[in-house]
Amino acid sequence: MPRFNFWTAVMILTWVMLFVLLFIPVGSVLVSSFYDQSGNFTLANYLKFLGEPRFHKAFFNTLVVGFGGLLGALLLGSIMAFCVSRFVIRGGKFVSLLAILALVSPPFIGAYSWIVLFGAGGVVRGFLRDMGINMPPIYGVGGILVVFSLKFYPYVYLMVSGALSNVNRSLEEAAEGLGLTPWQRTFKISFPMVFPALTAGGLLALIHAIADFGTPRLLGRGYNVLATEAFTLYSAEVGSNMSMATTISVILILVSMVFVMLQRYMSRRNVYHGNMINKPARIQLKGMRNVLAHVAVYFIGLCGAMPVIISVIYSFRKTSGPVFQDGFALQSYERILFNLSDVVRNSLTFSVAAVVLIVIVGTVVGVLVARRTNVNTAMLDGAFMVPYVMPGIVIGIAFIAAFNTGPIVLTGTATIIILSVFIRRLPYTVRTTASSLRQISPSMEEAAVSLGYSPFQAFLRITVPLIVPGIIAGGMLSFVTAINELSSSLVLYVGSTMTMPVRIYLLILDGDFGTAAALSTVLLLLSGTAVYIAFRFMGRNEQALL
Amino acid sequence: MSYLTVTNATKQFGTSFMALNGVSVSVERGEFFTLLGPSGCGKTTLLRSIAGFNDLTSGEITLGGANLRVVPPHQRDIGMVFQDYAVFPHLSVFDNVAFGLKPRKVAAPEIKRRVTEALEAVRLGAMAERLPAAMSGGQQQRIGLARAMVINPQLLLMDEPLSNLDAKLRIELREEIRDIQKQVDIATIYVTHDQEEALAISDRICVMNAGKIEQVGTPQEIYGNPQTQFVATFVGTLNSFTAGPALDTMLNQLGRTTKDGATWTIRPEHLGLALPGDTVPAGAASLDGVVSKYTYLGREAHVAVDTPAGSLVVQLANPGMAATSAAGEAVSVVVPPNALMAFSGEGKRLGSAG
Repeated sequence: MPRFNFWTAVMILTWVMLFVLLFIPVGSVLVSSFYDQSGNFTLANYLKFLGEPRFHKAFFNTLVVGFGGLLGALLLGSIMAFCVSRFVIRGGKFVSLLAILALVSPPFIGAYSWIVLFGAGGVVRGFLRDMGINMPPIYGVGGILVVFSLKFYPYVYLMVSGALSNVNRSLEEAAEGLGLTPWQRTFKISFPMVFPALTAGGLLALIHAIADFGTPRLLGRGYNVLATEAFTLYSAEVGSNMSMATTISVILILVSMVFVMLQRYMSRRNVYHGNMINKPARIQLKGMRNVLAHVAVYFIGLCGAMPVIISVIYSFRKTSGPVFQDGFALQSYERILFNLSDVVRNSLTFSVAAVVLIVIVGTVVGVLVARRTNVNTAMLDGAFMVPYVMPGIVIGIAFIAAFNTGPIVLTGTATIIILSVFIRRLPYTVRTTASSLRQISPSMEEAAVSLGYSPFQAFLRITVPLIVPGIIAGGMLSFVTAINELSSSLVLYVGSTMTMPVRIYLLILDGDFGTAAALSTVLLLLSGTAVYIAFRFMGRNEQALL
Repeated sequence: MSYLTVTNATKQFGTSFMALNGVSVSVERGEFFTLLGPSGCGKTTLLRSIAGFNDLTSGEITLGGANLRVVPPHQRDIGMVFQDYAVFPHLSVFDNVAFGLKPRKVAAPEIKRRVTEALEAVRLGAMAERLPAAMSGGQQQRIGLARAMVINPQLLLMDEPLSNLDAKLRIELREEIRDIQKQVDIATIYVTHDQEEALAISDRICVMNAGKIEQVGTPQEIYGNPQTQFVATFVGTLNSFTAGPALDTMLNQLGRTTKDGATWTIRPEHLGLALPGDTVPAGAASLDGVVSKYTYLGREAHVAVDTPAGSLVVQLANPGMAATSAAGEAVSVVVPPNALMAFSGEGKRLGSAG
């Protein structure tokens, strides 16, 4: 008996929202890539993409940085995960903290910190030159890969260490009993067990590497990828080529989607649920091996957190204009206080607004997906995968294309930035709400009903209190991504709606690293507070950051 | 008219699966009534229909003469105990038990008195302020029981409340449930797939299979006088004789005759063992055979014997230290005159009590 009730309304509204904020904008990108400037249907954009060496190169470069970043992240992440979950490492908690720092550090600040150290006038490079060692500056593809590996290894680390500490020790003992050597055991038993986590973490690194805009922009020095090409075409002062920018966006989406499918295909039958009867124990290594493990873990952790450390230090350095002087001062922070407070305020209000929306809508839709399971909600669940593969720059361009003219005009407003963050982060909240709801036994609500509460009251008094800590924690983590969002805001901002990441990006382009570092430190402080609150509410759970 | 009646209940899932197929039961005031059957037999579906969590496709349910199907579940005033306890983890033990009293507008001092009383009854008086998350399964189920009873419901429903507990605790708690139920005198419907539990706890048992009722009766009637072969097999264990000349001879000795399409059966504890050639008690028959397996269980022993009328298990009470049999030993199975049960080809009991 399909009757019109609250949940039917939610379902319809959710579809409407998805169409207005996602399918229509992204669809219009798709469509506009098939039209030329004067509005005639054409395949010229795609032919141009196939024909021009410049785009070939960008496509190829995207794959290079994607897979290079993937390999680097896999290497660093799995070494660290293996050491931390299998050996006794002093300060293991601190190492995890370093990984979190790398994960929540503002984007592309990493790139700039590495320039400070190893760039043309880099500190470390200068120091080495004084000692007679000449090393090339970090610019180009090599630098991008170093930064990507160090920035994205936490995805692999957190995923794999979670999986590794869930492999039942009995399985390895059984293999040992069957006469497998330690190497065979690792490759035939442990590796297949963590393979899904490895591919999932790798995919996250890959998708972020492909979509990353700031790092290749600052470090590339002519090494262009699809994301930077799309932005260049979009933002060119003269002859902005919207339809070519959208064409590249479509190709970027396709590349992301191929990899998501690939990952799903690869780990399709490899979901293992360990029983936790025999938890793996950490081994205390001795002698050289112990030293080696500690050096590896701390080297990776400290390198990953290096940008954060550098920008905190540099934010306190004395400056004269954009030029650093000897000694320390609070000048950079004064500049933020007097000149950039509106940027901080923008970032805070946009992020808070987006998070409030995300929490409310995400929770209601999460309940819908988890509790009213039918074909329609299953489709809804699937539709929420779409923003997951959407690079931020594509959402930005799509929003510009969709809301520039027509029934809803939002270009240049705060709303458009809030909505772009909202739609990108919403799927995470929907999914975490749905999965935490699925863990609450339905008999809990039935018990309340049998005790005399109406179904709605039962939901309010039993289920809501149980999922609220998770929702708050999820909201805090959304806040971290919201406040650090660069690539879509960079397309969508106007002077009055500038956010902190955009300002940092522009400051770095202007060479004012002192202010950029101070602003980054403020950003990091806000992110860190949010992560701290989240962990207070749900217990320390690094994997929730992914 | 009985206190609770279910008449012609049917419940259809999808297009073809009938979880309940014309079920009628009645429960009296203060009665402990058990629904017993294998998983998928419809017992939980019936219980949940009475609670109101799913509606029947057709049929009637009345409680105290009033139609229950039109009452929404939260107004039915029926206490329920769940298999997974369903204890609210964010509320203290006290608040869990008090939860159902609040919508009933009970005054605060009264709540305090009744909750304390209920917690004493389930022996959790000292734990009122604790959070249930860290408590054992047995303690959590005691909370569930106190919570369901404290509202003085018109009916108490229990959905396999003990199946997640270990064996010793299960026996301990089922005795407590039985005692408390008799004390508060609330009509109770109890769902289980454990036949021993059902026999131990119930005033009457309703054995269900494939959405239909097989038999309703006291534990003694269900075990001692099963009306269908399903009931005889599901409750307790059963030996079936293989049809053939050996069975015919044996029936002749016992003064019975083979009926067409009948299956002859006997419970293991009614069989006895003798040495071949021993004299058989008057009126009894004997089957010569060879021991195939001996299982010692402490207070009893099971001896599997291959005979011309099929493989039979003989249950010996209090087997002594010396009373072991080795596989291959020649023995004689003694079949007493009145313990045989015959069932028709459709599984219906033939003849009267054996």
